[in-house]
Amino acid sequence: MKKVKKYWKGLEQLKVQSDIVDKLEQNEFVEEIPVEKSEDKNSSRRDFLKYLGFSTTAAAIAGCEGPVIKSVPYVVQPEQIIPGVANYYATAIADGNDFRSILVKTREGRPIKIQNNKDAKSFNCSNARVNASVLDLYDTYRLQGPKVDGNYVLWDDFNNQIKGNLENLINDNKRIVLLTQTQCSPTTKLILDKFLSKYSNIEHIEYDTISSSSALDAFENIYGIRALADYDFSKAETIVSVDADFLSDWQGGSYSSGWSKTRVPNADNNNSMSYHIQFESNMTLSGANADNRVPANPSELKKILAHIYSRLSGQPVNGSLNPNLDKYVDLSVKKLKSSGTKSVLISGIDDVNVQEMVLMINDLLNSDVIDIKSPRLIRSGKNSELLKMMEDLKSSKISGMITSGINPGYSLPESEEFLKIFKNLEFTLSFSMKEDETSRVAKFLGASSHYLESWGDYEFKTGHYYLAQPTIRPLFDTKQFQDVILSLIGADTNFYDEIKSNWKNNILSSGKTWGKSLQDGFFYDYSQNELSIRRKRINLNSPFAESSNEFSLVLYPKVGMGDGQRASNPWLQEFPDPITRVTWDNYITLSISDAKKLKLKNYNVANGALNGSYAKITSNRKEIIAPVIIQPGQAPGTIGLSFGYGKKYGMSDEMKVGINAFYLYNDFNKIQKVNISKVKGDHEFACIQLHNTMMGRDEVIKETSLEIFNTKDKSYWNPTVMVSKNHIETKVTSPEVDIWRDFDRSIGHHFNLSIDLNSCNGCGACVIACTAENNVPVVGKEEVRKSRDMHWIRIDRYYSSEDTIQEDIKIAEEAKGFRKYKSTLNALEQAAENPQVVFQPIACMHCNHAPCETVCPVAATSHGRQGQNQMAYNRCVGTRYCANNCPYKVRRFNWFSYADNDEFDYNLNNPLGKMVLNPDVTVRSRGVMEKCTLCIQKTQKVILDAKRDGRKVTDKDWQTACSDACSDGAMVFGDVNDKESEISKVREGDRTYRVLESLGTKPNVIYQTKIRNNINI
Amino acid sequence: MSSHYEASIRKPLVEGDKSYHDITVDIARPIETPPNKDWWIAFSIALIAFLWGVGCVIYTIGTGIGSWGLNKTVGWAWDITNFVWWVGIAHAGTLISAVLLLFRQKWRMGINRSAEAMTIFAVIQAGLFPIIHMGRPWLAYWMFPLPNQFGSLWVNFNSPLLWDIFAISTYLTVSLVFWWTGLLPDLAMIRDRAVKPFQKKIYSLISFGWTGRAKDWQRFEEVSLVLAGLATPLVLSVHSIVSMDFATSVIPGWHTTIFPPYFVAGAIFSGFAMVQTLLIIMRKVSRLESYITLQHIELMNIIIMITGSIVGCAYITELFIAWYSGVEYEQFAFLNRATGPYWWAYFFMMTCNVVSPQIMWVKKLRTSIIVSFIISIVVNIGMWFERFVIIVTSLHRDYLPSSWTMFSPTFIDIGIFIGSIGFFLLLFLLYARSFPVIAQAEVKSILKSSGENYKKLRDSHE
Amino acid sequence: MSKNNLHVLFDDDDILLDAIKKIKEKKYHINEVYAPFPVHGLDKALGLKPTRISILAFIYGCIGFTVAVLMTNYMMIADWPQNIGGKPSFSFIENMPAFVPILFEMTVFFAAHLMVLTFYMRSKLWPFKKAENPNPLTTDNMFLIDMESGDNLNKMKVFLKKTGAVSIEVIERDDNEK
Repeated sequence: MKKVKKYWKGLEQLKVQSDIVDKLEQNEFVEEIPVEKSEDKNSSRRDFLKYLGFSTTAAAIAGCEGPVIKSVPYVVQPEQIIPGVANYYATAIADGNDFRSILVKTREGRPIKIQNNKDAKSFNCSNARVNASVLDLYDTYRLQGPKVDGNYVLWDDFNNQIKGNLENLINDNKRIVLLTQTQCSPTTKLILDKFLSKYSNIEHIEYDTISSSSALDAFENIYGIRALADYDFSKAETIVSVDADFLSDWQGGSYSSGWSKTRVPNADNNNSMSYHIQFESNMTLSGANADNRVPANPSELKKILAHIYSRLSGQPVNGSLNPNLDKYVDLSVKKLKSSGTKSVLISGIDDVNVQEMVLMINDLLNSDVIDIKSPRLIRSGKNSELLKMMEDLKSSKISGMITSGINPGYSLPESEEFLKIFKNLEFTLSFSMKEDETSRVAKFLGASSHYLESWGDYEFKTGHYYLAQPTIRPLFDTKQFQDVILSLIGADTNFYDEIKSNWKNNILSSGKTWGKSLQDGFFYDYSQNELSIRRKRINLNSPFAESSNEFSLVLYPKVGMGDGQRASNPWLQEFPDPITRVTWDNYITLSISDAKKLKLKNYNVANGALNGSYAKITSNRKEIIAPVIIQPGQAPGTIGLSFGYGKKYGMSDEMKVGINAFYLYNDFNKIQKVNISKVKGDHEFACIQLHNTMMGRDEVIKETSLEIFNTKDKSYWNPTVMVSKNHIETKVTSPEVDIWRDFDRSIGHHFNLSIDLNSCNGCGACVIACTAENNVPVVGKEEVRKSRDMHWIRIDRYYSSEDTIQEDIKIAEEAKGFRKYKSTLNALEQAAENPQVVFQPIACMHCNHAPCETVCPVAATSHGRQGQNQMAYNRCVGTRYCANNCPYKVRRFNWFSYADNDEFDYNLNNPLGKMVLNPDVTVRSRGVMEKCTLCIQKTQKVILDAKRDGRKVTDKDWQTACSDACSDGAMVFGDVNDKESEISKVREGDRTYRVLESLGTKPNVIYQTKIRNNINI
Repeated sequence: MSSHYEASIRKPLVEGDKSYHDITVDIARPIETPPNKDWWIAFSIALIAFLWGVGCVIYTIGTGIGSWGLNKTVGWAWDITNFVWWVGIAHAGTLISAVLLLFRQKWRMGINRSAEAMTIFAVIQAGLFPIIHMGRPWLAYWMFPLPNQFGSLWVNFNSPLLWDIFAISTYLTVSLVFWWTGLLPDLAMIRDRAVKPFQKKIYSLISFGWTGRAKDWQRFEEVSLVLAGLATPLVLSVHSIVSMDFATSVIPGWHTTIFPPYFVAGAIFSGFAMVQTLLIIMRKVSRLESYITLQHIELMNIIIMITGSIVGCAYITELFIAWYSGVEYEQFAFLNRATGPYWWAYFFMMTCNVVSPQIMWVKKLRTSIIVSFIISIVVNIGMWFERFVIIVTSLHRDYLPSSWTMFSPTFIDIGIFIGSIGFFLLLFLLYARSFPVIAQAEVKSILKSSGENYKKLRDSHE
Repeated sequence: MSKNNLHVLFDDDDILLDAIKKIKEKKYHINEVYAPFPVHGLDKALGLKPTRISILAFIYGCIGFTVAVLMTNYMMIADWPQNIGGKPSFSFIENMPAFVPILFEMTVFFAAHLMVLTFYMRSKLWPFKKAENPNPLTTDNMFLIDMESGDNLNKMKVFLKKTGAVSIEVIERDDNEK
């Protein structure tokens, strides 16, 4: 029997009968608990007042509560994401037009910025478009999921329906065309091969919206593979370019970094510069940066090439050149010969014969610059195939079509007919990010992911492999084209597995692991086999289309807009064209003389904004009406017009600007014979630079020629600026010209930014990088037109009024006497017919003696210890005095609130678009002044990291968004108190000067004198 | 008696056969009689203009300064032009009462009261613009050196804009007390005449219980003298400081050491013109011809002519110095001013300010009321353009040609300007009906010396 | 025996001044004179001491100047010396030229306002102050002498009439008042 333990509580328990014990056993509590009985409790006046008081107070307090900002915390925080710390991923972009290896900066899992992948050997200099591509990820017009006949469906149903359709079509053996961008992805090729072998009725056609077909054909004819020759301009001593804008988009671009290496005379290249002659019709970036720029119309260009070839090869050629061109041809030949293997000739003329000629010339020169061993694979479209496809479509030989990553309904010259047929095809499947011209009429609409959400692998050029990895989970219910294809061929793997296995099995070698390659974003295999050359005899006397009274239209991709697939990107729309400085538009460019003939005008209205007359272009019964920009340097008889505008679908109304030039892209030839005539009405441009010349002001841009630079002393070509003190010329740098003692700046960091006018080619990548880094708002066409653009860094472009900038300066100095002075200055306002061009990036100069700081009544802007001119946004009351008093006019005022304002319906007006904001930088409110901060958030990060790690800051850590984005080495940023730093060395260099130095503002942004290498003949 | 003696060549400053009491009656009339139709018309026009201005200001504060025509290069245009214009106008009042008092110019007494009133109303207009031209006007109080929750966050005494704040507020308050002190005896006069109890209450409230004791009069005169002594350098300093907004900057066309005297001269010029405009109307409307005589008008015309010529010299000097300096930016700035896109503004300025006042050399013209009136208007237009030329044409093309642009006003800019004119007239019209518009006490004190009848009397005795 | 106050009205400033002279000669005591406008020589005739208000104004000015110096020095140099456009905020003297306008304006501000306030206080002028002039006409065109009647009222009246008084008013006073 179990024993019950008994605990003694007291003597009382000994008693047999103890009422105390009983009592305790009965009720737990000795005394009655004071519980208020409801019936005998009647609430008094006092209670009422208590309750009243409490409830009102409670209500009041509840009312006081601020607005609730929802934030969703991580349920399980990924260990690699630390709030406030950025992660970087190496990936690649290959959108059919731009192919680059890039780094993506992510914050809290959001990609917010694109940077150059500096470790990559090729395709490593991203342009404005690539920098801006991150914003497309957050486009409100993106497809949220797959659609069938305009209704959202689930991916499984989607895939099954497609399967079904394809089964039927293959059964009654109907032809289907798979139209995609150039696929330079090895794994995608594998998948597609499987796909095509499964569905034998499907034919794969590759389509480059801007065709390089002729160059590809030429290369194929001569070297046997369909690719584009690659070039390494860093090896070039002489560059002759015949209508090849290789500094922006020619054959995929990404050449500028190589070019710029040869443009800066310094000790390493014993003060030499490459010589760059450009023959072209439009004024392009390459032309603007060339040493000699020779305007010529397309037929002349062909002749020029023929003559160069004949003079190099000795093969005779019919016909003669006009003397002016002839002397430049002589010069080119002379230079090409003298530089021997270090010379190269390139051309962008869409003509197989010409392109073969180019390859042969470089073969003749035995050029080291051209890279045949590892050609570019980023273009492969064949015009004939496409033309045939159009024929077949018209003759309804094709009954189904699959498109991916392209928008033929917009970019084909016969887009209307195409769409008409496409609509009525039996089976149409379109992979797209938006409901654009093509996909909106497709039966099946595959919502494809943004490249930052996707896997991918690419072979941009033979042996140069690049990996793309997702930097964020797909924002919407989207899939990659390849994954869908995989499911169609019944594979149970996904694209990632395919890539990984393909790389492990076929690509990776030399012991580089998959993981490492993924981290780097690239893998190089140098074991390419030599290509055998099949030399051809060039027919130099192939009939050149003689220039008639007609104009020749020269179509070109704009630096900001490319082939137009990013047309709904507000950053790019507001990105000023480097040459014309016009935003939010494309336009006809016309030479000054032609404009005069045709009575076409550009003029400024009362508030300065630019207006231009409209002109009508007609080419074989097609016609368009477009506004005119009078373009100095445009070859007479030619008209420039840029691709990429005039899109109608998948974007907000603000973005639907410009006119579609693809409409005139007949036979995919960028040169078209057209007629032009004036039509009524004027167009309102949004141009951010309304004055084109430098008015001979030598303090803005300093220039000298290479020979002077090499022969004469600094004091001759870059003398220290003198100012008069008590009528004695005194160096502006000497302390006695200051009226007060200076602060001691020798302690701590002191930042300087150096901008090299020789290596800067004005591409504008820095402008977009700055926009992304600093949350610069987009203000829209109307505001830009009112000269209220908000860019923190701008790239001023000046034309010479005489033949050269130097002459401008000379005649301005020589103009004596009022009448002479007046006439000279008025004349200087007009640009020359074929001017010299110079680019000058201008951001806040961060003057040590800043005029803006002194005048702020509330001390909202004052000088930092590290040399920055700082702006306290929340102290600013917005008198704009600082902006008025800034000699460089770099301050930007928030005229309205640009965020959360329906008047400015861009990325800052919707939660999706705001995901691109950099959390380290405030979004400025209405009524405050803002400007470049020398990316203080980045420099502080560097300092704090070093502090945390207890190490010294290394020079290479210093970067601003602009200097980081500049792949041409034009921008050097760093600490001048660190005497070992690169910036200190640059600063001590002879070419250093400061803009408007005589004002004594002591800027911390310094410039390197531009050295010209042109021979005047 | 000797103290009353005045050379008989001097024209009488009080016309007609006036006794002390007549003066009282004449001055009190506009206040004691109900306003006539003309006044009501003027009043309603002013009111409408004022309300329009208010609307535009509200719209600006609601949406942003972007509703004006400004841009990244031209950060100031009509706002500061109006500001400087009004400040300039304001100067005449103090000059008339202070400087002319120091110079013992008796003729000031007919006009100083209204001139001072005009000063105050003009300064009020001027004061509005620096506030509404801010991006965030609700923070305007940050302009004052107040202790604040941000710790040691103070204003920047290096900034000319802050000098302005101090100068303008000092100027406004000092001229206010100067004006009011002078008003006390006259308000007391109205008070003692008042029959309606409400009117009596008001006037006894604002006349601070003035009785006119001998000692009070002694202090009164001393205070007036010292205030005049303070106000004279003050008035000179105020416009000098306003000019420093530009003179201390680096912008070619602004950075000009001649500005302080040049602006002061311009201020007197425009101020007298405005006084002229107002008084010519007022003497008619309130039937004060015998106190604001042709003599007054002529004397003011002479001052306008002289100051106009001074301003003209300043313009020429500017051009000369720009050439003489040899600084290319200065040279271009002034070339651009005269021959650039805004040549027409420069032309207006030159003709209105330099040419038009020269006709005052002709006695016949300067003694003609209608001519004086027209010229006074023309001068004020000219002076507005002067400020526009200085501000806009200097800014729109400065150092870097890449940022050159133009300016054109929006209807908001225009609306606010018209609004301020309406506000100014509104205040003046109300003043003309409720305040003694002529310093009657002072006029009485010169009646014997400069009254027509007494002069006649004296002459007949000699 | 009782003395009375006389309110003697004149209608002309010159006559007033003569009258005051005569009254002074007769050694009658004048309490106060009310005038509609400043009569020159009145204070001398009455033998009023010159006012010291201008001296005060000078002192106030000095105070204003000091305040301004202390303020600018504290705010720009002592409390938070910022680097504003490179201006030497590390030394008041070197930075001072930029403060001159402020110093001047503050001086004037203090001098003017404090002086006027003093004047108002000393002359008992402020809103809601009851006016004490015995006769409303003294702000219009009449001059009033408030004086003590001599022992012989009638003789006095005759005398005053001779000096050109327009009217004479006798204000009774009982003895215990004085």
